[in-house]
Amino acid sequence: MSHWLPLAAFVPLVAGALTPAMARGRPGLARGWALAVTAFCTFATAALTRRVALEGPFSYAMGAWAAPLGIELRFDEFSAASLFICVIMLLVLVYSGPYVRRALPATRIDWYYSLLLINLGGMIGFVITGDLFNLFVFMELVAVSSYALVAVGGGRTAALAAFKYLVAGAVSSVLILFCIGVLHALTGSLNMADVARRLATVESRPPVLLALAGLTAGFLVKAGLFPVHVWLPDAHAIAPSPINAVSSALVVKLGIIGLLRIFPLFAAAGAVSLAPLFEALAWLGAISVLAGAFFALFQEDIKLMLAYSTISNIGYIVLGLGLAGELALTGAGVHILNHALIKATLFLAAGAMIHQSGHRTLHDLRGIGRAMPWTTLALLIGALSIVGLPPTAGFPGKWYIALGALESGRPGFAVVVLVGALIIFIYFARMLNAFYFRAPSHKEMLGVSEAPASMLGPVLLLGALCVLGGLLTHWPVALIAPAVGRLAGGE
Amino acid sequence: MKKPLVAVTLAAAAVPMLIGVAALPRPGDPTAPAHTHVAAHYIEAGARETGADNRVTAVLLNYRAFDTFGEVLVIFAALAAVIAVRSPATPGGRADDMPGPGPGLPISPVVAFIIRLTAPFIALFGAFVIFRGHVSPGGGFQGGVILGALLVLLSLVLGRGAERPLLAVPLARWLQAAAPLAFTGVGLLGLALTGALLGYPAEPERHALRELMMITLDVGIGIGGAMIILGLFLEMRGD
Repeated sequence: MSHWLPLAAFVPLVAGALTPAMARGRPGLARGWALAVTAFCTFATAALTRRVALEGPFSYAMGAWAAPLGIELRFDEFSAASLFICVIMLLVLVYSGPYVRRALPATRIDWYYSLLLINLGGMIGFVITGDLFNLFVFMELVAVSSYALVAVGGGRTAALAAFKYLVAGAVSSVLILFCIGVLHALTGSLNMADVARRLATVESRPPVLLALAGLTAGFLVKAGLFPVHVWLPDAHAIAPSPINAVSSALVVKLGIIGLLRIFPLFAAAGAVSLAPLFEALAWLGAISVLAGAFFALFQEDIKLMLAYSTISNIGYIVLGLGLAGELALTGAGVHILNHALIKATLFLAAGAMIHQSGHRTLHDLRGIGRAMPWTTLALLIGALSIVGLPPTAGFPGKWYIALGALESGRPGFAVVVLVGALIIFIYFARMLNAFYFRAPSHKEMLGVSEAPASMLGPVLLLGALCVLGGLLTHWPVALIAPAVGRLAGGE
Repeated sequence: MKKPLVAVTLAAAAVPMLIGVAALPRPGDPTAPAHTHVAAHYIEAGARETGADNRVTAVLLNYRAFDTFGEVLVIFAALAAVIAVRSPATPGGRADDMPGPGPGLPISPVVAFIIRLTAPFIALFGAFVIFRGHVSPGGGFQGGVILGALLVLLSLVLGRGAERPLLAVPLARWLQAAAPLAFTGVGLLGLALTGALLGYPAEPERHALRELMMITLDVGIGIGGAMIILGLFLEMRGD
């Protein structure tokens, strides 16, 4: 059934636009509708992922217009990220029920679910399209809905954080659009495979270089890499907790997947060599690993700490891309998926704590391990994973990246991988200490009750996935192996 | 200290960009790839293949209809974003965290009269732009803006505040989703007829149906766009 491919993006977008009309003033209906649509997408992307694992990449010509005349959707191994996107969105929607009832004004709840569905459709479309301008359109859908979701909880700081995010996002979007325009001027095409073919014969070097540099820079801003991360900490710390899970676990990864989409365009181009860019990416990634972890260390606010840890982990992925060997790319690919699971666990668990106790700093949250044992357990499993200890989901990605560094004779970068993990481990120890071993700062902390089932369920499930993701690493590794081979071989 | 630094950074970013752009094929050069590859096919065969004499519409609603679908959702998302961020915490209340202007002065009777006088002509022109979009310059987006401006004008004269809006809220919300709804209908019809989502029947005897499908999309885009412009205006005028 090839129609699953376009419908996986089409259905959630239409459903998102219909949510405010259908479910006006009925938040329960809006949530049920969003859950049903996301369940459909999960089913569709699972079927597509199964097909790509069995048969390899496949395409769909929208409107039956053959590429490059029309828009080609292309589902390759990296598009399997859409399955992770759907699963995490499903859990976020379950979790959102009790959360938004308290955290959002009632008049905004149907729009909240509408924006979440548009966000979901945009993300799915982004990872399945084979067309450069179509990629931009879906990127904008994700961006516009994300800006709003950051501010949907209300408050002056939220509006400010969303505005900062909007400015950074708009500038990077314009840069990306401009560079897509440059590529179109050079090749006359927008289809990715066609652009790659035609770029091979372009002789003029400066515009090709400009397109490569501009697209890379634009997507790095979207990914929140240090030092272009300035929009990220506030936007990810101030937004409602379910939105944190979406934006920190999924949305920033689109910047990385964007890089994975554009590098093959230039791989065959005679005018430029990718090697210097990869060298720069490895260094930027390494700096981001250390800087993100370092800033995280000084955060008292648990959500801010998690936001900085995202910057560090994006650094790992970019380091893996920059090393560009098969092992390092495998590590980067696995970490894109596994970090999504881990960061969703962490933000949802931390969000449950903040929701139940009303406190958000380590100092105020002392003793919560006794009041909310299950949530704390899930949070600590997530923290262990983010450190990268085996057998959790954070381990394989970092392990492959470190191996990749050694393989390409760059032991310095392997040390960076290790040091980054050690710094985060210090933070983990601080959390452990605060949650379990310190006397509560607030007496009422012991009276805080465990989160309601529809919040605790997703948190525990994600915690379990953090462990499973580590134990079953060979699945994603085997799945993305052909794509990694193509990427590494193309250079 | 900060300003010179910004200036230097901007210059450092601008110079390589200018060098890159300077080496692009000259604008209007008929041998440039932008004019010889895909675009050449659109111009040469676009009208025949799509049934839309207006080549822009041929690209917008046929070859790259999925982009257009995404774009109407970006517009919808903009409305959803504004409402989600600005709507008051309680129904009928004021936005809690955003200062807005107080109730404005009453509209002058001259302005009100002129708006009422010109409204039918504006509406007719908007409808013309929408319905002729596939053959002559125009289309759903352009016509939608004209109708949207008309709705904004009318809501100034006829609107009666947030409690009694020009259009009932439930109806308004369906109309705001008109463009995605039109794409769904046309897209699924195309799927049934041609086996591809957003496909159009290419047989000559079905030319009328193909034209009708394009007009449906244009009308959906136009109505949806107009309603979203009105929605943005009502949400942001601050009463």
